[in-house]
Amino acid sequence: MLPITDGTVHTRLRNDVRIKDDRLRAVLDGTSFLLFDGAMGTMLQQRGLDAGELPELLCITNPDEITAIHRAYVEAGSLVATTNTFGANELKLGNRAAVEDVFAHAVSCARASGAAYVAADIGPTGALLEPLGTLSFDRAYDLFAREVKAADAAGADLFIIETMTDLLEMKAAVLAAKENSDLPIFATMTFGEDGRTFLGTSPAVAVAALDALGVNALGVNCSLGPDALAPLVTEMLSVATCPVIVQANAGLPSIVDGRTVYSIDPQSYAQSIARIVDAGASIIGGCCGTDPTYIRLLADVLEKRETPAPRSIEQAPRLTSAQNLVELHGRDIAVIGERINPTGKKKLKQALRDKDYDYVINMALDQAEAGSDLLDVNAGLPEIDEGATLIELVKQIQSVCGLPLQIDSSDPAAVEGAVRHYAGKALINSVNGKADNLAAVLPIAAHYGCAVVGLTLDEGGIPSTAEKRFAIAERIVNEANRYGIPREDVYIDCLTMAASTNQSEVIEILRTLRMVKEHLGVRTVLGVSNISFGLPAREVVNSAFLAAAFAAGLDMPILNPMNERFAETVAAWKLLCGQDEGATAFVENFSSYKPMTKRIEETRAEAARTAAAQASAQAAADVAAAATNAAALIAQGIPVGGAPKSAPSAVSSSLGAAAARAFAPSAASAQATAPAAAAGAVFPVTNASRGDVGAVAENTDSASDVSTNGAAADSAASDIPASSTLDAASTELRELVISGRKGAAGEATKRVIAAHDPLYAINECLIPALDVVGDRFEAGTFFLPQLMASAEAAKAGFDVVKSQLASEGTTKADKGPVALATVKGDIHDIGKNIVKMLLENYGFKVYDLGRDVDPSAVLDCIRDHDVKLVGLSALMTTTVHNMKVTIGLIHKEFPDTKVFVGGAVLNEEYAKMVGADYYTKDAAASARVATELFGA
Amino acid sequence: MGPTEQLHIERTVPDARVDRAEALRYIGYAGQQIDDVLSARFDRVIEHCEQVASPSYAYRIMPLERTDEGMHLVGSTLTLTGSDIARHLDGASACGVLVCTLGLSYERELQQLNRRNELDGLLFGTAGSSLVESVADICETAIVAKAAAAGLRTNTRFSPGYGDLPLTLQPLILDVLDAPRRLGVIANDSNLLIPTKSTTAFIGLFDSDHLVSSVKQSCAQCPCKSHCTLRKQGTPCYR
Repeated sequence: MLPITDGTVHTRLRNDVRIKDDRLRAVLDGTSFLLFDGAMGTMLQQRGLDAGELPELLCITNPDEITAIHRAYVEAGSLVATTNTFGANELKLGNRAAVEDVFAHAVSCARASGAAYVAADIGPTGALLEPLGTLSFDRAYDLFAREVKAADAAGADLFIIETMTDLLEMKAAVLAAKENSDLPIFATMTFGEDGRTFLGTSPAVAVAALDALGVNALGVNCSLGPDALAPLVTEMLSVATCPVIVQANAGLPSIVDGRTVYSIDPQSYAQSIARIVDAGASIIGGCCGTDPTYIRLLADVLEKRETPAPRSIEQAPRLTSAQNLVELHGRDIAVIGERINPTGKKKLKQALRDKDYDYVINMALDQAEAGSDLLDVNAGLPEIDEGATLIELVKQIQSVCGLPLQIDSSDPAAVEGAVRHYAGKALINSVNGKADNLAAVLPIAAHYGCAVVGLTLDEGGIPSTAEKRFAIAERIVNEANRYGIPREDVYIDCLTMAASTNQSEVIEILRTLRMVKEHLGVRTVLGVSNISFGLPAREVVNSAFLAAAFAAGLDMPILNPMNERFAETVAAWKLLCGQDEGATAFVENFSSYKPMTKRIEETRAEAARTAAAQASAQAAADVAAAATNAAALIAQGIPVGGAPKSAPSAVSSSLGAAAARAFAPSAASAQATAPAAAAGAVFPVTNASRGDVGAVAENTDSASDVSTNGAAADSAASDIPASSTLDAASTELRELVISGRKGAAGEATKRVIAAHDPLYAINECLIPALDVVGDRFEAGTFFLPQLMASAEAAKAGFDVVKSQLASEGTTKADKGPVALATVKGDIHDIGKNIVKMLLENYGFKVYDLGRDVDPSAVLDCIRDHDVKLVGLSALMTTTVHNMKVTIGLIHKEFPDTKVFVGGAVLNEEYAKMVGADYYTKDAAASARVATELFGA
Repeated sequence: MGPTEQLHIERTVPDARVDRAEALRYIGYAGQQIDDVLSARFDRVIEHCEQVASPSYAYRIMPLERTDEGMHLVGSTLTLTGSDIARHLDGASACGVLVCTLGLSYERELQQLNRRNELDGLLFGTAGSSLVESVADICETAIVAKAAAAGLRTNTRFSPGYGDLPLTLQPLILDVLDAPRRLGVIANDSNLLIPTKSTTAFIGLFDSDHLVSSVKQSCAQCPCKSHCTLRKQGTPCYR
């Protein structure tokens, strides 16, 4: 659903609202107080409502009682009667009552109390949103929309969306209210003792997101008593641009003399709330445990005060996920990780085509670990559905990674889909100065409360002068303001041009940056790496440009956070601009820093020492490789924590060699003297040219050792035994896999490939080792984690093999495909995950459908990918039935497709009973079945 | 409202701990030689689990009434059906109903680890299973104390999904304990609890002169007993 793009809904801002009267208008302007009522549930329980009963149904069955409760609050001084509709959504009501009926009755009960305003209460759906739960965002929106329409039709005066713990669910409710009514929206969330909601949202994050969405009042309810809530409210008051609501509970219940009392008595409650009111809260009421006694005292509190206390609001650019807040003050900077963008990334392209979102999630988490503050997310790949993919990426990433996202697409429809499903306040990348682009994207940004990146280009292209770029930036800022997007939510991108092609413009870019900062007062972003396009030593140019851009006023660079040079420049600038206060972070990260020359020296010295210690020709050859590798790594900017104890690799990639060359320009002249025979013998299958390798070896202190011993290695190499008996490297790899050492296994695999070939590594080392592990697991001498550790180690080996095969252009090791699922109703997926890992390691393409999988999803997967083998897992007796149903459907619709089953509750007999083709008692057995079936 | 006990809620359970041996047992450990690397990795995961989880529980004690449909918890919408719970609560005058959870903070981390590294995910998962048991033990202790104060004795926990006590009770239990709002625990369409490391149970409260069924927990009634691997190893799923 894309209401703005499709034109079914107009952008609705905070002021596009139907307000009942001037008093309410003053409340929304923050110039007048408003007193809500207290708890409904507490009152009903006191009247004998059974625990677990749906109180909403009482609006229909016992309207007089409900009205009596409302009236008691109105008599106590409340201006608002909140309808008894907390759980009145179709999910909770089921077939017991229609949403419309409940709201119609509830509104009339509230109206009958004589309250000035009737607030339609909308609580959480009671289900958890995907992917942690099973409720889709769109379904949640539909649930809320039905409530909104029902409440509006019944004549409510405003909405109070309350007790939310999931910011995304809150957003679904707010959008439902915005798009299906024009009544004011009050929105409150509930927080725990740790100051966060169950899903980790802080008050500041909630405010940034809800304020941007344009709700008319926001705040906290339920959660805690007023004193515990006070700091959370203070946090909100300092940033919210709309009135702040507080509806605290009255503490915890206990029974005294057979009567339920709450731990906070009405007097203390009112005193605490009075302090919060004096801090600036202007809308107050009660929650669990409060009754008319409490409300009467709150009325007294407001009686004594004429108007809400003035408060100072910190205006600052803010971007959020559901957990993290990026807030820029002064010269603060924030880094946007650029990696999730398929342009020029083969593996990511493949992952997006395969819907392998785990790959993307790992990219996100890697960048988060490397220090990104935000993540750019781009799914612009012509052969995939960009809009659908972008939504999926947003959903997946926000479920596990807390960084705020920058939605990167030139397609307004794709942008709208993504920001609609995004929990926080997103940054849209991008708009530009073209009139039609602004007209398409700005309404989306305004409606969903997003910030935008504005590119300084327009119908005339990218201007070459600072003045002309500035003019476009100014136009974008003004136009954004016209759509209701405040200045602090516009970030200008002055557009980096390659220095190799547009050298004269580099200074203009920096000048534009400065002008934009000084004269427009907006923040800036910049994709940094473009500057070095077409140049050698790109990172050298990049880091210099980044430092210059920081000085000119760049706020948010878009870059690869994993690049060490970038990381260094960012860390240094944070120190220089004062963001890293007291240089704490810098000192912590760089206290053991060694200059590059020092690092190279140490590597050489270590290599020499090892060489001296190891007499054999093979060892010396390895050292040469270690030295080469280490030098190459250092030249690439990868820190080497001391020289490797054993030789890490005999394969020097062409990139490494090129970098090594860049590091040692004198290599070119050294080439001629490099002993070709030695290089050839030591690196039999390396991609690096002989000259490169020899050159670096020559360049090390131990060069002479290496060249003489290297010659000896030639003869040693010819002594390597035939594959019937294993050489040391192959034995080592087997051992590493069996003992589950994933770190060392990858390197060992490289050595085996160097001595033999990739298939040898698979057939003679990895698979036999896995077989040993499988046997041990079967025999009970290994248990699950050991099997998995071995699988991890083998995977590290297979990854090396895969990249080697890919670089050689050999056919892929993909067999199958196989689909795996834990059946509907079951969430136990440990066994299924092991089968997946093992099958992948055996070279099968696996579609993992997850757990609690509906039979139709299995059928879809079979259809979409022509799957001939399906593995189903179940661990509970209660779900074996679902296995049977799933298998029945598979066999009916796809008679060619075979099914294997596994799980603790299954055995050979049960497997037959549910109609499976194979019973696999463990992962190794499933690998055997797959191998047999596909004849691999 | 009658004598119904109020809802008790603990939002923090600082004493909850992973039982390392138990957690290993869940993933099939039966005396295998574990090397130091794996052992240290598991220790790190356990520490991480205890740090990330936000354990909490809620319970309520209600009088029991036998009706034609089953055991009714007076003052609530709960009526427990099936012969197994009837046997478990036979002679009980009241019933404790509880929910425990590690919270969504644990759940998010589990999802992340499962994406990052399956072995860490497995270890984190089994550590969580043990931790939520520990939370349930602590909650049970609170119920035992309440019972003792009223001169009552308790028997063991019995959960939906055991024997013929249906999983369809889950959403009802959660509503009775206000768990979606108070603890953030919900049931999905398949009546599975989310966060996944959550549990619900019933405990019988008996007059002290009543002979609490001394039948020790056993596999006798379990539908899995014929092929259960835990049972074969002599380490059944109950403690």
